[in-house]
Amino acid sequence: MSTEERRIVVLRSSDEEIFEVDIDVASESQTIKHSIEDDDSGRVIPVPNVDGHTLAKVIEYCKKHVETPRSDDRDAQDALRAWDTEYMKIDQNTLFELILAANYLNIKGLLDLTCQTVADMIKGKSPEEIRAMFNIKNDFTPQEEEDIRKENQWAFE
Amino acid sequence: MNYFPEEVLEHIFDCVTSHKDRNAVSSVCKTWYKVERESRRRVFIGNCYAINAERMMARFPGLRSLVLKGKPHFADFNMVPPGWGAFVDPWIKALAKACPGLEELRLKRMVVSDESLELLSTSFVNFKSLVLISCEGFSTDGLAAIAANCRHLRELDLQENEVDDHKGHWLSCFSEICTSLESLNFSCLKGEVNSAALVNLVARSPNLRTLRLNHQVSFDTLLKILVNAPHLVDLGIGSFVRDSNAEIYRKLKNVLLKYVSIRSLSGFFNVSPRCLPAMYPVFMNLTSLNLSYAPGIHGNELIKLIRHCKKLQRLWILDNVGDKGLRVVAATCKELEELRVFPSHLEEAENAAVTGEGLVAISSGCPKLNSVLYFCHQMTNAALITVAKNCPNFIRFRLCILDPQKPDPVTMESLDEGFGAIVQSCKRLRRFSISGLLTDRVFLYIGMYAEQLEMLSIAFAGDTDAAMGYVLRGCKKLKKLEIRDCPFGDKALLMDMGKYETMRSLWMSSCEVTLGGCKKLARHMPSLNVEIMGENEMDNIPDDETQKVSKMFLYRTLIGPRQDAPDFVCTL
Repeated sequence: MSTEERRIVVLRSSDEEIFEVDIDVASESQTIKHSIEDDDSGRVIPVPNVDGHTLAKVIEYCKKHVETPRSDDRDAQDALRAWDTEYMKIDQNTLFELILAANYLNIKGLLDLTCQTVADMIKGKSPEEIRAMFNIKNDFTPQEEEDIRKENQWAFE
Repeated sequence: MNYFPEEVLEHIFDCVTSHKDRNAVSSVCKTWYKVERESRRRVFIGNCYAINAERMMARFPGLRSLVLKGKPHFADFNMVPPGWGAFVDPWIKALAKACPGLEELRLKRMVVSDESLELLSTSFVNFKSLVLISCEGFSTDGLAAIAANCRHLRELDLQENEVDDHKGHWLSCFSEICTSLESLNFSCLKGEVNSAALVNLVARSPNLRTLRLNHQVSFDTLLKILVNAPHLVDLGIGSFVRDSNAEIYRKLKNVLLKYVSIRSLSGFFNVSPRCLPAMYPVFMNLTSLNLSYAPGIHGNELIKLIRHCKKLQRLWILDNVGDKGLRVVAATCKELEELRVFPSHLEEAENAAVTGEGLVAISSGCPKLNSVLYFCHQMTNAALITVAKNCPNFIRFRLCILDPQKPDPVTMESLDEGFGAIVQSCKRLRRFSISGLLTDRVFLYIGMYAEQLEMLSIAFAGDTDAAMGYVLRGCKKLKKLEIRDCPFGDKALLMDMGKYETMRSLWMSSCEVTLGGCKKLARHMPSLNVEIMGENEMDNIPDDETQKVSKMFLYRTLIGPRQDAPDFVCTL
């Protein structure tokens, strides 16, 4: 295998979409990195838990963060943060798929970014508002809910 | 989101840090409740009698950091007799048994014994931070145990505590291998510490950023410390008295010229004002300055000093700064967010002290001002109305006119309109203390406008029970209400009994409430502890239901009447 060929990795999403990705970019995912280290034969690496739409978005993140040199320069850091903010302007469905992908693919920076985004959506909201926002079913009985509310407010606030 | 693995939920919750938000998260659904309670590391308990340690640990087994608050706020003014309660001992015993991973403990207005400190120091291998604020009951022996046994200690912060000082070997107890100290504050201690030990400790603590010394630490020692700790951000100077040795003064000046990191200064317990110019380079970078223990700095020296403080965000000062000094602050400190002016109780101060004019100057000169504590001898409605117009962003506003029921000296009217203006203008007001001559009217204003108000302090104010009613009915977010020497009686107390379940606590002393009224409240509201106490430990609890109660403190609780109340406290 020539050095040129080795620099590309081929990923296949759950819905059979193919992505040719630079090895450094793919290695932002610890999961993929270990996969490459274990099997260097250059076959296609399946990513069964992540669909093509999400995988494209993941690759976009990894590409940007690999390309951007690490810098102590305040302006450079601000610029990257601004890029992250723009990148995060996505619908809730994509956001959740991205979190699950980042978790499965073990990409720390992306997991931190996406979780922080969800956390920011939670801050300042009531339980009812949080449930509505994320379409979560309230499976407490009224008594259970009241007991928790009381303990929270009387003791822990 | 119903299908997120728990580890992902935990990762999201790690970014949710405020207690209110975590409480909301825990109430969303059963899975969220489970993940949140297993992952909560920082627990805040605003009233140590609202819950017990066992129940806290059953809920939060992964706890690493605990904040506990004990006595009511009026304990700061010696209004709570000694022995009332707020003992930390049972908490530490329970934590020692079931929470070996404890790393941080922050206590406010609690009683802490040497035995507690010793148990603390040997029970938690990773213990990193101890902060004690307005606590009592311990001596430097307890501190010695902390120093000796907490090998990974990062922070020991003692603020305003009553400590029995057995004269200073405690500092020498820090092990030679302890190099992790980041913050050390012993400014409230009265006794000497071993200078060599102190200098040595500083020299082997490369991460030290906060160091607040007590008044016993000499100028000479200070110099040695500064040479060994070039990265300090927060410095509390002990004594700043120049002896006749000009050489030391020159050395200090040179050291300070290179000292670019200090952002916060305090202390100056004993000061030779002529030494101050050596510190001017430091003042230029300060964001926080506390001169409230430095009566030695006044007059022109003080004003000259202030002129250097262009970046100040927080200023605590004595009232001998005068209106003149406050005008200089207003002209210089454009970044000022918090101002506290404390009474100096000096004879000269009455003439030079601060008035409404000083406050008005600050309000118009400092656009970022959001927190004020102001002790003065008099105040006018006109001044308060102007301040309200200039500063709609107040979050905390506490005005303490030292003479009770003092009217506006110009119009001889009550100060209802002045305080009313504040509450109407400052939509974000969370903490409010009022004083001077006040009728029911000011309470009407508070009830109408103070929508975000969480804590209200009242003394010598109001005419009838209706006043207290306005506040209880109007202030939906009220958490703490403390009242002294007001004509509010049983009618006010019993007007809206359910309200007290939405609040943390109510204090009423020297008011008109009777034993009968308190008993009725206790009968109707079993979820409240209604405690009554006499004037001091010797006082008897009244047995006649018509008799007025000297002090009443009530609070909501999950665990019923406390078992540790002394004889002079009766839970009804």
